[in-house]
Amino acid sequence: MTSLLRRRGRPQPPDASVIGLSGVWMTYPNGKVALADITVDIPPGDFVFLVGPSGAGKSTFIRLLIREQMPTSGRVRVAGRDLLRMRRGQVPALRRRIGIVFQDFRLLPSKTVWENVAFALEVTGTPRAVVRERVPQLLNLVGLHEHAHHLPTQLSGGEQQRTAIARALVHDPPILIADEPTGNLDPVTSWDIIQLLIQINQLGTTVLMATHNQEIVNAMRRRVLALENGHLVRDESTAAYERRY
Amino acid sequence: MGFARFVGFSVLRAWQGFWRNAMMSLAATATVILMLVLLAALFIVIAGLNSGLEFVESKVGVTAELQDGLTDGQAEELVAEVAALPGVADVDYISPDEALARLRAAFAERGEELDFGGADIQLQATIEIALEEPDFARDVSLALTERRDVTRITTRQQEVDTLVGIINVIRTVGIGAVGLVGLTVLFMIINTIRIAVYSRAREIEIMRLVGASDSFIRWPFILEGILCGLIGAMVTIALVAAIWEPIQPVMVAVFQMPTSVSREFLATLALLLFGVGLGVGALGSWISVRSYLAGSS
Repeated sequence: MTSLLRRRGRPQPPDASVIGLSGVWMTYPNGKVALADITVDIPPGDFVFLVGPSGAGKSTFIRLLIREQMPTSGRVRVAGRDLLRMRRGQVPALRRRIGIVFQDFRLLPSKTVWENVAFALEVTGTPRAVVRERVPQLLNLVGLHEHAHHLPTQLSGGEQQRTAIARALVHDPPILIADEPTGNLDPVTSWDIIQLLIQINQLGTTVLMATHNQEIVNAMRRRVLALENGHLVRDESTAAYERRY
Repeated sequence: MGFARFVGFSVLRAWQGFWRNAMMSLAATATVILMLVLLAALFIVIAGLNSGLEFVESKVGVTAELQDGLTDGQAEELVAEVAALPGVADVDYISPDEALARLRAAFAERGEELDFGGADIQLQATIEIALEEPDFARDVSLALTERRDVTRITTRQQEVDTLVGIINVIRTVGIGAVGLVGLTVLFMIINTIRIAVYSRAREIEIMRLVGASDSFIRWPFILEGILCGLIGAMVTIALVAAIWEPIQPVMVAVFQMPTSVSREFLATLALLLFGVGLGVGALGSWISVRSYLAGSS
């Protein structure tokens, strides 16, 4: 299991950030400023929380990272790529380097757990033999091997989120973005998912988790990025963050 | 290998998509059939009329009635001079006796007997001029009107002009009708594929998030549109093939279309129906998917 997500390829210099935003502004056509002069560097292997009230800019921040939106100005670098210079045709390759999970899981209800995970490989042209080898590995990683042939409706919320995490990891991405992954889960199941994210992080994957869950943020004692009205108001370890709030 | 996987994936997803949205897909296919049946009917009628026109044109000639009392020598001289005119292929001299014999034969064909009650009938001698091309009819007629030994000239040019006029009207109206039906079909396919695209918005979103390329997202939908066109074309070709033998006597009798020509024509028609069916299917779905994908990143 550990070999599954061990970072491969060229070793990166210790100061290279896997996510880097520099002077990023994002203004919508109606004049609303979603992000204002954001500068952030996240080194490889970090586990970072992104917090802030609704409308603070968390979703915009994430959309910029997966190049669903382009900033009005500034630079965005993800997994060593400058997203502003990237052509449309290069976006799929970027997204294979980023795993993403959401609060609402976004599983296909007519497909089984196995099929949901395999789908992410099939639609990127992965050979069938590789799909057959890779899917069981991922289901083992997230502890869903026994539920492989269940439909999402037959799973608990936590199991659905685990399926979504397995799907997010199909391309062995160096970055995992989790947008409110525990938002729909009870406290016990939430900790179950956090535990899984920590395991994935320990295997070398950088994790950026947007959350409202103050308890988890305080307990984890990791780096916290706090957004308010599009401004980065805090960028510090949880210990310092906790002292303030 | 990668391309084969891409094609296999796209075809399978198109097939699944077609049947998942069966009612809309079949409705779109039915409109494709309607359009192609109209197109086939138009094509058959125009081809038949063209064939008929060729037949009539091949018979276009000029007939000149000659002045009474021409001697054999004068008639021979006239025939030689007319034969030398540009565009004249052949000149036949029909003497008054031959003209009367023809008239009797024409009556006999109708089962009647020519009877003038014993009167002595003298028909006019004529010359029948075959032309190299129907277009020479006007010039040859003009040359003949200047001659004093010719009393009246008749050609079938007017019939040809009328037929050409009818064909042009049918062609214009037919193309207009097929065009309108074609547009309806295009909108039906655009709508069908758009519904298919929206019903799979979640799938498309996931495909984008996990890094599927635009081709992997777009082609299954385009193939689904092509499938509507393909099935529509196949059904229409089967329908045309089924009625082809029964309408053969009509094609020969009404349009003078030889059977050998009609077989070749059937192959051309099948190709046309395939081409138009696939083209409309591909164009409609391409427009639909393109507008959807352009609106999302």
